[in-house]
Amino acid sequence: MSGIFEIMNMNMKLGTTLKIKGKIADDADGFSINLGQATDKLDLHFNPRFGESTIVCNSLDDNKWGQEKREDHLCFSPGSEVKFTMTFEKDEFKVKLPDGHQLTFPNRLGHNHLSYLSVQGGFNISSFKLD
Amino acid sequence: MGAAQGPIFRVESSDSWCVSSQDHQFPGPSSCPQPWLVFVLNLGKDSNNVCLHFNPRFDIHGDTNTIVCNSKDDGVWGTELREPAFPFQPGSVTEVCISFDQADLSIKLPDGYTFKFPNRLNLEAINYLAAEGDFKIKCVAFE
Repeated sequence: MSGIFEIMNMNMKLGTTLKIKGKIADDADGFSINLGQATDKLDLHFNPRFGESTIVCNSLDDNKWGQEKREDHLCFSPGSEVKFTMTFEKDEFKVKLPDGHQLTFPNRLGHNHLSYLSVQGGFNISSFKLD
Repeated sequence: MGAAQGPIFRVESSDSWCVSSQDHQFPGPSSCPQPWLVFVLNLGKDSNNVCLHFNPRFDIHGDTNTIVCNSKDDGVWGTELREPAFPFQPGSVTEVCISFDQADLSIKLPDGYTFKFPNRLNLEAINYLAAEGDFKIKCVAFE
């Protein structure tokens, strides 16, 4: 599935946790959840890839990708319903995976507010909430 | 991806509305509390293709406590429709439920009152949601 779902003017401040729920498509080979300022400025690009059995995280600054960070802890699969939490802190993002494993990614762009959320690829979002 | 035809989606605002974004186009003191003037929810395909522009006006552009709805097709605004219902309170958390099919969008307000707006763009899916003004998206659920 090649869709994109976008939310603009979200109010995600430092210390906020985003809870996101959805279903991974049966034929998904990956998906991504992006948090940032706009399509070309992403503080966190979270991209599980089933073909490579890995989760790739990166940042995008004025359309330029930073250095990838890979984590080989893929605890979900196509066709499953999953829930993640993403906590936005001054120094890093903390992503809690469905099995409780936590991965981190540095807040390289140094923003203290996130207004943009997008979901791409084989993930159908059913809800998200900021706490 | 996102809402296909049929399902309802709920949007809930945050009460931490006093932090306005840089592109906030309405004048007001930067400190809290600030009077609510207006907020906008745009739903559609992208910023130029909006099947529902939902614009409650507390007190702006000569409108008081009125909901103005419109659509934008390839960047061109359609004809405005106005609803006199206005169950919104400044500074509160509020919830709006929107469902749609090929013909209409149904908008359910916080007090349960429901009205329809024609689906002029005939979109089969909504994958773009933007808030502007005195409204910060806190929660979105597809049911």
